[in-house]
Amino acid sequence: MAETEIALDIQNLKKYFGGIKAVDGCTFQVPKGQISGLIGPNGSGKTTTFNLLTGVLDADSGEVLYNGENIVGLKPYEVFNRGISRTFQITRIYREMTVFENMLSASSMKMPVREARERAEQLMEFVTLTKLRGEYGGNLSYGQQKLLEFARALMTDPELILLDEPAAGVNRTLLNNLLDHIHHLQEDQGKTILIVEHDMNVIMNHCEKVFVLDYGVKIAEGLPEDIQKNEDVIEAYFGHR
Amino acid sequence: MQERAEIRSKYWLALFLVAAYTVPFAVGIYTENVFFDLQWLADLTTVILNGIMQGGVYAMFAVGLTLIFGVMRIINVAHGELVMLGAYLTWMFFFYVGIDPLLALFITLPIAFCIGLLIQKLLLNAVVGGPELTPLLITFGLGLTIIHIVEAIFTTDYRTIPYAPDALQLTETIAVSKSKIISFVMAAFISLSVFFFLKVHRIGKAIRATAQNADVAMVCGINIFHIYMITSGLAAALAVAGGALVSIQFGFNPETGVLYTLQAFAIIVLGGRGHYIGALIGGVMLAVIESLISFMIPNGTAMVEIASYGMMVFVLLIRPRGLMGPKEN
Repeated sequence: MAETEIALDIQNLKKYFGGIKAVDGCTFQVPKGQISGLIGPNGSGKTTTFNLLTGVLDADSGEVLYNGENIVGLKPYEVFNRGISRTFQITRIYREMTVFENMLSASSMKMPVREARERAEQLMEFVTLTKLRGEYGGNLSYGQQKLLEFARALMTDPELILLDEPAAGVNRTLLNNLLDHIHHLQEDQGKTILIVEHDMNVIMNHCEKVFVLDYGVKIAEGLPEDIQKNEDVIEAYFGHR
Repeated sequence: MQERAEIRSKYWLALFLVAAYTVPFAVGIYTENVFFDLQWLADLTTVILNGIMQGGVYAMFAVGLTLIFGVMRIINVAHGELVMLGAYLTWMFFFYVGIDPLLALFITLPIAFCIGLLIQKLLLNAVVGGPELTPLLITFGLGLTIIHIVEAIFTTDYRTIPYAPDALQLTETIAVSKSKIISFVMAAFISLSVFFFLKVHRIGKAIRATAQNADVAMVCGINIFHIYMITSGLAAALAVAGGALVSIQFGFNPETGVLYTLQAFAIIVLGGRGHYIGALIGGVMLAVIESLISFMIPNGTAMVEIASYGMMVFVLLIRPRGLMGPKEN
């Protein structure tokens, strides 16, 4: 099999909270230009890993190589300005700002104002929020907030997009829209996408590669259909048979 | 349940404010300082107008304090000292260089912005987001240091700037001093400029974004430490502008800053912590009640500070979020 390019090279990443080993020597490589999934039982360290990758948390040790540069220890805005963007499990939008202002807040200061406005308009169109552009973030439904957060994460045209549970709390129609958008980003624009998700339908039907975490360690990786049959994965989810 | 408590606290606050405004009248009637003739009504109108004018200036420097609190959750007790510093800067330019106090703003405001920037960079950036006591103590120490340095240079003597001392006759009996009108117009202009900056400019938007959620701002690519520095610079500029505008109305010495800190806190507690418009309304309300007290209560000028203390304590007891502040979680 031909070697695929690596977007994000995670080496022996560790994060302990007191005695709890949230991420304990995690190593995996996210392939470039693909949709990958990160799964694992509750408390397996998925969200912590995301927080470490985006600088929201500082890693205790380990490396994350992005374009040949170690991004561990960078501040979140520095990671963002290098082209890595994310959403959160529980949406984090500015509730007292309008949809349009939320969008603009994610534009880098270097981007000309007019360009930022145009891009915000396009992205709102892309996720069908144009009608709600003047509405305050706090007045949107949960699903709409997810779309807004997703669109906001795309403002600076990032190369790598990390999505933390995009399906949680979103109705089917909206979820299918969101997944269409994600595929569109990957197929037409060659973006790399890493998704943390509990909804196995999303992972199995939409990801090309899946990584499985348990107790802060990667226990398996591979194609979705192989992961489904993997003994270690089944044990991690359901215990011994 | 919670909503009912919320509505009840609103009514209690309204009741408290009505009572607070009634007290000077009641005391005035009791001590026979209130006369029901035209002359007295004209005097009352003058006093209220002066209070509103004064309130504009209070509101402006209170906005600086509320900005810092809103964006960084820092309680800056050195804010009044920056007001005092502004008065001295204006005084220096007036007496040594001969620059008009209002024109001097073009020089003092950039200086103030830089002072704020430096204070933030050197003293506060490292402790934002940590325990609230640390920045509080740092600003406390900073305030005392400023007082003592100013005292060492200028002594504790009161200074004044003679500026536009005559009054504008609105009617035959109602007159407002010109320096108050000028101050109010300037304060309104500066406050509105800052308001539109926050509302429209992208750095202003980034400041609001950081105030709402610094964690989100960071993952949206906003360098919050730059934002903190700009915020502190703006707040310092508002304080110094406040100092310039009070310096043309009142005497000042190195200790007067303490009173301005107190007033600013009373205003933002009343208006709602971190709320911009709330601070403007709170400023005017506090200044009006202060002028009513000094007008009707015998020896009232010495008692105006009670208005600030009382306002702050009772609003905190009755409704901690004040008039327009965000809900406490």
